[in-house]
Amino acid sequence: MAFETAQSVLLSGIVLGSLYALMATGLSLVWTTLGIFNFAHGIFMTIGAFIAWQVGTDLGWGLGPAAGIALGVAALVGVGCLSEFLLVRPFLSRSGIVMLVVITTLSATIFLENSTLLIWGARYKQMPPLIEGKVELLSTAISAHEVLMIAIAPLTLLTLWVFLKFTRIGSAIRAVSQNQESALLMGMNVPLLYSIAFGLSAGLAGFAGILLGSIRFITPGLGNEPLVKALIVAIFGGLGSLGGTIGAAYIIGLVEAISTFFIGLYWTPAILFAGMIVVLLLRPTGLFGKK
Amino acid sequence: MDDILIVEKACKSFGELRAVREISFTVDAGEIFGIAGPNGSGKSTLFNLITSIPYPADSGRVLFGGKAIHRMRANRICRAGVARTFQKETAFDTLSTIENVMLGSVYGHERPDTPTAQRRTREALAFVGIAEDQYGRPAGELSVFDKKRLMLASALATRPRLLLLDEPASGLTKPEIDETIELLRRVNAEGVTVLVIEHVLPLLLTVSNRLMVLNQGQELTTGRPDDVVRDEHVIEAYLGSRGKDDGRDS
Ligand SMILES: Nc1ncnc2c1ncn2[C@@H]1O[C@H](COP(=O)(O)OP(=O)(O)OP(=O)(O)O)[C@@H](O)[C@H]1O
Ligand SMILES: [Mg+2]
Repeated sequence: MAFETAQSVLLSGIVLGSLYALMATGLSLVWTTLGIFNFAHGIFMTIGAFIAWQVGTDLGWGLGPAAGIALGVAALVGVGCLSEFLLVRPFLSRSGIVMLVVITTLSATIFLENSTLLIWGARYKQMPPLIEGKVELLSTAISAHEVLMIAIAPLTLLTLWVFLKFTRIGSAIRAVSQNQESALLMGMNVPLLYSIAFGLSAGLAGFAGILLGSIRFITPGLGNEPLVKALIVAIFGGLGSLGGTIGAAYIIGLVEAISTFFIGLYWTPAILFAGMIVVLLLRPTGLFGKK
Repeated sequence: MDDILIVEKACKSFGELRAVREISFTVDAGEIFGIAGPNGSGKSTLFNLITSIPYPADSGRVLFGGKAIHRMRANRICRAGVARTFQKETAFDTLSTIENVMLGSVYGHERPDTPTAQRRTREALAFVGIAEDQYGRPAGELSVFDKKRLMLASALATRPRLLLLDEPASGLTKPEIDETIELLRRVNAEGVTVLVIEHVLPLLLTVSNRLMVLNQGQELTTGRPDDVVRDEHVIEAYLGSRGKDDGRDS
């Protein structure tokens, strides 16, 4: 295979990996903290993209990309906190909470997807790239927007790590994810911490959606496929390990890029699922998960 | 004397099972109040109701320092000055000993600044007697005695006026039990009112001013420890469940 081809496959793998890392980390944060899967994570991504389009582009309010990103992410943090309150909190003390939340978040997805259809219509939207032009990277031409994605994903995740590791609220979120009773014993406001974790997670999804909205058309279904990928990544990486999730995101991005190039787009999901099943058979806790 | 805690007709059921049935009692400020009873008699459930960790009572009232706390959220009750430990050693296992207690100092009280919180953390750890070389270790790796003391230090770091201890001596060796007794007395001498559940009867008899015995979710009797152990209902309840009682603790 030609050297350039290898490089372009590698780069598109890293772009995908960056996107999945942002998505799956949010999903995984909610899983570790609350012990539930949020199936509305994909629609959060879609709404982030729509809001940024509305606020930022000339077809919307034309306030520019910076305002679009800021408002898009902020709105999603709010949507996340509200969703925790409506979809999760009423069931917190129930024993069947995991299944109940699957149902509430799937219902919310249908509701929100149709709402975006009502608000923004069925016509495809597109955002201009955040940076125009192309960059020569590893002797391959790649759009500047994609370079930005490659750079910005690790930075965002680093910020999240610093927040979780070094701030009071961050360490409380890590703590509550380990042991709810101890958290209560020490006077932590557990529901509030849940709400913050959910808000952060939704903010990450919204941000990922905005980045994706510049390289794909924005439709009400924009987040569906990334949600499935993020689920695969989170499970593959070992539930509960944020580091493992990020590692898995890049591995899956690369596998997807390679498989798409050599085997074809339609076979790729099957290959990913097969890979995930094999990994789970060999290591039930995922690739990086602890026992 | 002042009543620091008043429990009125507290009830809690799990389906058909009435774990706590209309228990009422009063605790004086400054005393050590013991609670005994056979396995499954509702002792831990009673602590759960008072602290709302993890659930409040189905009905009944709980007053702390004259204020109703039975509808308050667990973190508010903690900040109001009620702390507890659990029967099973409970901690943030991957966080270090000192980080665990630090969280108690920070969240158990209204926004202390960081130096104050750090000072209180060290004070609490020194008070319970955990060796300094254990401060940096993950809580999950500590010895049983240190885990119990860590739980106590985390509770003390929230600066309680009322402390609820659920079987602080279970699983400890004789010298460790003696140290625990001495520790309870020192906590009490600091002005903290103590409620203590225990199966190790000698501990209860030595430390408590008053003793309440529960059986099948109900109060059997309350009084001075010497009188209580001679009460025939108590003897019956204990002898009647001796077999179960010796294989303590699930
Ligand atoms: N969450 C729960 N769900 C169902 N039943 C429960 C629950 N918690 C406690 N019980 C039951 O309520 C009764 C009282 O339990 P509790 O833990 O209060 O007893 P205890 O006096 O602390 O006993 P032990 O000495 O074994 O600690 C027991 O029969 C127990 O099985
Ligand atoms: Mg108990």
